[in-house]
Amino acid sequence: MSQPGVREAESAPDDFDPVTLEILWSRLISIADESAAALLRTSFSTIVRESNDFGTVLMDAKGDSLSENTGGIPSFSGILPRTLKHFLAKFPIETWKPGDCVITNDPWLATGHLPDITVAMPIFHKGVLVGFSGSIAHSPDIGGSLWSADCRELFEEGLRIPPIKFLKEGEPNADVLEMILGNVRLPEQVLGDLNAQVTANQVCGRRLIEFLEDTELADLTGLSRTLQQRAETAMRRAIEEVPDGVYRAALDADGFDEDETHIECAVTVAGTNLSIDYAGTSKQIDRGLNTVMNYTYAYSAYPIKCALDPQTPRNEGSYRPVTVTAPEGCILNPRYPAPCNARQLTGHLLAGVLYKALADAIPGRVIADSGSAPSMRAVFSGGDGHGNRFSQILFASGGVGAAAHKDGLSTTAFPTNSGAGSIEAFESIAPLIVWKKEFRTDSGGAGEYRGGLGQECEIENRSDEPLQLSLLSDRWRHPASGVLGGKPGATSEISFSDGTIPHQKSRTTIPPGMRLRMRFAGGGGYGDPRARDPEMLRGDLENGYVSAEAAERDYKS
Amino acid sequence: MKQRIRIGVDVGGTFTDFVVVDEARDLIYTGKRLTSADDPSVAITEGVERLLGEADIAAKTVHSIVHGTTLVTNTIIERTGAKVGLIASDGFRDSLEMGKETRYDLYDLFLEAPPTLVPRNLRRTVAERIGPDGAVLMPFDADGFRTAARGLVEEDKVDALAVCFMHAYRNPEHERQAKKILVEEFGAVPATISSEVAPEIREYERTSTACANAYVQPRMLNYLARLESKLAEMGVSGTLYVMLSGGGITTVRSAQAFPIRLIESGPAAGAMAASYYSGLTGESNLISFDMGGTTAKMCLIDGGQPDRKHDFEAGRVRRFQKGSGLPLKVSVVDMIEIGAGGGSIAQVDGMGLLKVGPRSAGSNPGPVCYGLGGVEPAVTDADLYLGYLNPDYFLGGEMRLDMATVERAIAEKLAEPLGLSTLEAAVGIHDIVNENMAAATRMHLAEKGRDPRRYGMIAFGGAGPVHAYRLAQLLKLKRLIVPLGAGVTSALGFLVAAPAIDYVRSYVSRLEQVEWNHLNTLFAEMEQEATALLVEAGARPEEITLTRTADMRHVGQGFEIPVPVPNGALEASSLSALRDGFFAAYRTLFERTVEEVPIEAMSWRLAAAAPVPNIKLHFGGQPIGSGAARKGSRQVYFSETGFAPCDVYDRYALKPGDTLSGPAVIEERESTTVVGPGASATVDRYLNLLIDLPD
Repeated sequence: MSQPGVREAESAPDDFDPVTLEILWSRLISIADESAAALLRTSFSTIVRESNDFGTVLMDAKGDSLSENTGGIPSFSGILPRTLKHFLAKFPIETWKPGDCVITNDPWLATGHLPDITVAMPIFHKGVLVGFSGSIAHSPDIGGSLWSADCRELFEEGLRIPPIKFLKEGEPNADVLEMILGNVRLPEQVLGDLNAQVTANQVCGRRLIEFLEDTELADLTGLSRTLQQRAETAMRRAIEEVPDGVYRAALDADGFDEDETHIECAVTVAGTNLSIDYAGTSKQIDRGLNTVMNYTYAYSAYPIKCALDPQTPRNEGSYRPVTVTAPEGCILNPRYPAPCNARQLTGHLLAGVLYKALADAIPGRVIADSGSAPSMRAVFSGGDGHGNRFSQILFASGGVGAAAHKDGLSTTAFPTNSGAGSIEAFESIAPLIVWKKEFRTDSGGAGEYRGGLGQECEIENRSDEPLQLSLLSDRWRHPASGVLGGKPGATSEISFSDGTIPHQKSRTTIPPGMRLRMRFAGGGGYGDPRARDPEMLRGDLENGYVSAEAAERDYKS
Repeated sequence: MKQRIRIGVDVGGTFTDFVVVDEARDLIYTGKRLTSADDPSVAITEGVERLLGEADIAAKTVHSIVHGTTLVTNTIIERTGAKVGLIASDGFRDSLEMGKETRYDLYDLFLEAPPTLVPRNLRRTVAERIGPDGAVLMPFDADGFRTAARGLVEEDKVDALAVCFMHAYRNPEHERQAKKILVEEFGAVPATISSEVAPEIREYERTSTACANAYVQPRMLNYLARLESKLAEMGVSGTLYVMLSGGGITTVRSAQAFPIRLIESGPAAGAMAASYYSGLTGESNLISFDMGGTTAKMCLIDGGQPDRKHDFEAGRVRRFQKGSGLPLKVSVVDMIEIGAGGGSIAQVDGMGLLKVGPRSAGSNPGPVCYGLGGVEPAVTDADLYLGYLNPDYFLGGEMRLDMATVERAIAEKLAEPLGLSTLEAAVGIHDIVNENMAAATRMHLAEKGRDPRRYGMIAFGGAGPVHAYRLAQLLKLKRLIVPLGAGVTSALGFLVAAPAIDYVRSYVSRLEQVEWNHLNTLFAEMEQEATALLVEAGARPEEITLTRTADMRHVGQGFEIPVPVPNGALEASSLSALRDGFFAAYRTLFERTVEEVPIEAMSWRLAAAAPVPNIKLHFGGQPIGSGAARKGSRQVYFSETGFAPCDVYDRYALKPGDTLSGPAVIEERESTTVVGPGASATVDRYLNLLIDLPD
């Protein structure tokens, strides 16, 4: 008797038994994870490394996703198959040859801003194209305006690479390469990272071929259909548990100057389908806050998956029951060539508004709005005083919103998963000293369950020359709101040590000796503060998470 | 070398294992006692006394006792350590609690952060600041420090103190002043300073290490002192050594100063044993595979040495979830641990798929077949059903396994809901647990840039030899080694380890900008300290090996890779050796190099070791090679053949030079070796089974 599963698989390719399917699915996820490991370790980009701002996906011959890496930004993996479909429209499937590699960073076709480069390669087995390996990573540089929110048009933000062959049958497309490297600040590192992506894709391809040899499957067709069906069924079952209805919510954010961002959402649950519509949302603006539809979709589908079906591994099927629409020309579905470099400042807000909408329907499965969304960043660049140029981003997070049975996490990234690097390492490569990086007392929104605390950072320019500073922040005027009686978290604040206040989304300089103070927002609270367990409040006071005055003001009256 | 009597003691969660080697009589004795959880020294002294009696050895002739303990790791997992106060630099009170600011599970909105070892009300700060180049940016406020320490000791009544200042790895002067104050004015309270326990860049990890050290220190100080005095009372005059997480052994004095370095003391022994067998069999590249009741541990042995790394995560909220624990900067054997053991439970998940582990039935109630009340089928149950285990010879016959109940449980809990036959479900459990282990091993190899085809496998632990054959097949390995005595293999590791110690100093610099004098001073300090410690541990200075490495990366990257550094004085002309070393290491890992981007070093390391003791392997008191090797035959399942008759052998009756061919099962008291169809096995002169897998 041979292995029961495989034998059955060969005779009926779309009907795998539960043992075989478990083994095959786990292996496909490992393939995406091995590919991610290769990318992560060889990448130069701080953002890839510290923010996990990358993804690797294994796709079938139709370009649908089969498995995604476990640790990367979830939204990316949902986008890659869509980008690949654009590649296939331009380069028909029968024209792909082994060793070909197509890349793009077009925001509309891919992940919504120029620094993210998408790389896809075909996988051939016994002369037949059986699938595609794909990866997305944030490039160390893409020319243009560095990471900033204030450009007026896409063209200011950097180099746009339309879908183009980076490798032809394994050979570099020298003209394209020269063109790209001639337009970026750190050509060696940009090339290094492109090669890292190619390596990651090759690892994915090699592992898939081994997989097909081990399992004696001729191709992925039947398996792909089964796995996508399973994931789709799991997602549909989870949606079905939500009472049918239309759930609405709105949210405001600082936007750019007088152009505040207003987001309206209507979540319609009908049986096993969930659709999200953003009609009523602000129009697109001529600043880099626009999020293209792909990004809007990704940052809508991700929080839905977290709340409804956190356990099932993801593939194309997970996303089928969830549709997202937004009027063309709005900030969540802008027309080319709207600037979109700082699209996270809008996209990260979607989790909060969706949870706000769903709070009445599924109060136990959502969290209040998070101070860590959108992420607040300060990008420093200039000379390090030893003749080396540097560009360093201060990664730090505000507080996450509270849940129905749990305080929000303090200083934790959400919905992104950007880690805070070490301050000692930060200071070692930049002429900056961080004098403070501590919790912000009273910044968590009061509630029966308290929002997570934000933090306060103070950074000094120790160089003898001015440094460039780009700020990407929001929530100065609009805090993370609480749900079901919970109070909002603290707003964010940024100031210089001389008392001046910089523009929240500006590029400016920071003179020698000047300090920048950044206060990160807190998460919203959940439920009536007066219902908070006195024991937990006592702990908050003892540890200084909440001050005596705030306890009196917010929890007693 | 002088012939000695040496004892190895492995204090585990359930059992304390003993091994005695008497080199003069060329004998090995083994023993086992229940661990005395409240005070492990009780079981140790009783066990040693009894074993010496059995082996007819006088206590005063014992040369040394080497000891591994789970006390440190358990103290952290169970959160039963000391009340610790932390004093940090002004502005950094919360580094310990803020951690990396990431979520270890991307989809769990309600995940628990690992509880911090020092709550915020016991964390103080003091005015002082060192810059990244070691320059003093703000002087140390000694009075402020005194006040903070006094508050923690007198008002908060802490049992231990930790100090971590910014960039203290680069310039420890402020921490040294702080320590002086603590020793002089608060001497009764043990104190840990970060620049001594982990002089490495990255404040969160260093603070975490200092606090964890302080957290376990009061308990370990007592425990080791008590053990030493009890052994002395028994008349044991030999030296007491403790195994470090990196596989070296060290003195009690050094273990008391840095008990956190014992965090992986027990598991390290298994890797050291594997590396010993690597030398014995001449298989220099091995995957060490140790599978017990709850977990499987895999470690690579390269060139006869276990891989090491310099960070470890302890006390995870979710045991097998990376990122859910406390980071520690300690040298450990680089081992992966996954939730795959004999007790791992099989169940049907929400999608109707079969899952195995990480939940474990443990030893109580244990798998269904133990008959102790377990109702959920586990890996051991499938192993029994498929014929790999003998229901009448489990633990040498001490425990009778119940086949009928197992069959019913697999049928009801798994086969029916999955729509499979009982056999298919049992095969499924076996295949899935093996596939889980294979996937984890492949991932580990991939992360280290290694090719599985270069490796053989060595298997031990109760369930290791049962699953090794199939695991080796999945990884496409050609050679499998199963040593005799799967249950004592790990404890043997204590006797084959040498006094060894690792040191580190962080000094961040681009290679072409290194100040060579400064670097030479760092290495000189480390070499001096290492030599002094190893001499104290009984080594002669001339026999100590010193190995230097540095953690390097391209400027801009976030991961460092270990690069060999030449011994002796370093100077500008050493640059090319360092660069070449970096590129060679980089190419091995990533199959390419990026020569144009400058290289920077973060930390510089020294590994110092005395020679490995040379022990022989003859198991005392065990009749070897007597009686009939072939016990009989039973039906055993293999994927190639289905259920088929299979030869059953008595491991203790096999003699050097004996050969057999698969399919076969070879039974010994604490494990069973499974050999698949088409494989051949021989017994070498050390009684190891050497199994060659068919192509």
